[in-house]
Amino acid sequence: MKTLKSLLYIVGLPVILLVLWYLATAFGEKNFFVPTPALLAETFVETWTWDRMTTDVFPSLVRLFWGILGSIVIGMVGGLLIGSVRWLRALLEPTMEFFRAIPPTVLIPVLMLLIGIGDDMKVAVIIAGAVWPILLNTIEGVRAMDEVLSDTTHTYGIKGFNRVRYLILPSAMPQIMAGIRQSLSIALILMVISEMFAASSGLGFTIVQFQRSFAIPEMWSGIVLLGIIGVLLSFVFQLVERVVLRWYHGLREIENAA
Amino acid sequence: MQPDPHSAPAGDHRAAGIPASEPTIPTQEGTEDMTPDQISTEGTVSSQGGVAETPDGLLTVGKTMPDGEAMLAVRNLKKVYHTDGGDIEAVRNLTFDLPQGQLACLVGPSGSGKTTLLKCISGLLAPTAGEVTLHGKKVTGPPKSMAVVFQEYGRSLFPWMRVRDNVELPLKNQGVDKAKRDELVDNALEAVGLAHVPKSYPWQLSGGMQQRVAIARAVAYQPEVLLMDEPFAAVDAQTRADLEDLVRSVWKQLGVSVLFVTHDIDESVYLGERVIILSSSPTVIQQDVLIDLPEERDQLETRSSQRFSELRHHVYEQIQLAKKGFRPEDALAK
Repeated sequence: MKTLKSLLYIVGLPVILLVLWYLATAFGEKNFFVPTPALLAETFVETWTWDRMTTDVFPSLVRLFWGILGSIVIGMVGGLLIGSVRWLRALLEPTMEFFRAIPPTVLIPVLMLLIGIGDDMKVAVIIAGAVWPILLNTIEGVRAMDEVLSDTTHTYGIKGFNRVRYLILPSAMPQIMAGIRQSLSIALILMVISEMFAASSGLGFTIVQFQRSFAIPEMWSGIVLLGIIGVLLSFVFQLVERVVLRWYHGLREIENAA
Repeated sequence: MQPDPHSAPAGDHRAAGIPASEPTIPTQEGTEDMTPDQISTEGTVSSQGGVAETPDGLLTVGKTMPDGEAMLAVRNLKKVYHTDGGDIEAVRNLTFDLPQGQLACLVGPSGSGKTTLLKCISGLLAPTAGEVTLHGKKVTGPPKSMAVVFQEYGRSLFPWMRVRDNVELPLKNQGVDKAKRDELVDNALEAVGLAHVPKSYPWQLSGGMQQRVAIARAVAYQPEVLLMDEPFAAVDAQTRADLEDLVRSVWKQLGVSVLFVTHDIDESVYLGERVIILSSSPTVIQQDVLIDLPEERDQLETRSSQRFSELRHHVYEQIQLAKKGFRPEDALAK
């Protein structure tokens, strides 16, 4: 009963939107740019065949994966360093604000010249945008370290790598995860945009092709696929977060109850 | 009033409302040959320690031992915080020794720099002047043979680790092998009465139980000196009584030296073999009192005994004096 209820909550709004969409397109004025749900579903199945999956979707997902992984690694390592070393933070913080303000998309032409038009460039574009939330959140997380906990590890002689592993990393983890969550959607957006330049495959490339050839239902089906990828990504994230931050959610629940 | 350590008995000073500087105490040179018969005459509270001359004048000091004999020695400790609003002198001048295996309580009015003092002793803070030595070696960082139990149990345990992992971590960090580690952790959890919850997270436990976990962690670490910073200030009165007895039993079992900081006068008298009374900030030692209660202490019996109330009375008076801003050095310098 409880699972049924929560399932109803999840599918409720999508069903309502689908019905509205159906009513508007089936009975309203026909519009070339807005297909009916049935037509879109049909097109979706026709367009995203296994062939297309392997030539366009999987390469995109691979780039997305490396982009996210790169952002997490660079963001966390950099954040741990900058967060723990005071002079490094003083040195880097103003400059970071500068680079953070630059939209990664304007870097695409430059990156094309520097590292070519291959996958490297696309991964670099994703990282250039998605690394910031993780980096900044990690820095904040490290700085927000509880003083008593820090003193405790000091008195027990826990330092160096063990201090990072047992104290700094876990204590910054709630904030790191919040940063990763933001980065996921940025990475997806940048994946599509990076594929709109000098690409010969990928989701972004395909959708632009459809737009240019006025294959409107096909274009919409691509956009729907992007949305589905976004939902799956957030679902996977929530699973991981539930495991990694089990202690945190439990702690918060108890604190809120008290 | 010229301080004469061998002048009138302590009771007279107090009755007259004059801050007793150092009644019935031998001078510092005489400290080591103090004998029990010298100390406890009925109704009087005997102090240990003496008077030392510093550049600022005379100063009461806690009981000290000849060089090299004390386990933990605090000498002329001073701590000044430099803030934007000016310097704040938290601890002015503290000298005392903690012999091997003693349980001493530091008690003082709130804001008397107790935590600062403990942080200096544990090597977490560098003193502005003076020094702390452990076995004759100067403390410059947290020493290996020292464990600290903090007041904020909720913030001193790792919330992402289960109880057992929390207790085990310091040992793991030291590279103690698994079998030895298991034994130490089991014994420590047993000693604090928490053998049944190793798999819980700390935040799933009550405050008193969390503080037991912190004590178990310190016990498993096998320190020579255990520093406790108002460990029971945040737990309820009934739990506190249990935890006090726990500290006594752990102290006896392990033979560690314990320095127990508290603002609770009853607690200090009940727990300690000795109570060091601190003045208000900037902190100096106001008096170093010997607690001559029987070895076996009992929440009901000890607390209702006459000697307990005399000692409690004395410490209470001294704390009241400290709160009013009484400075032992002023009384001495006159």
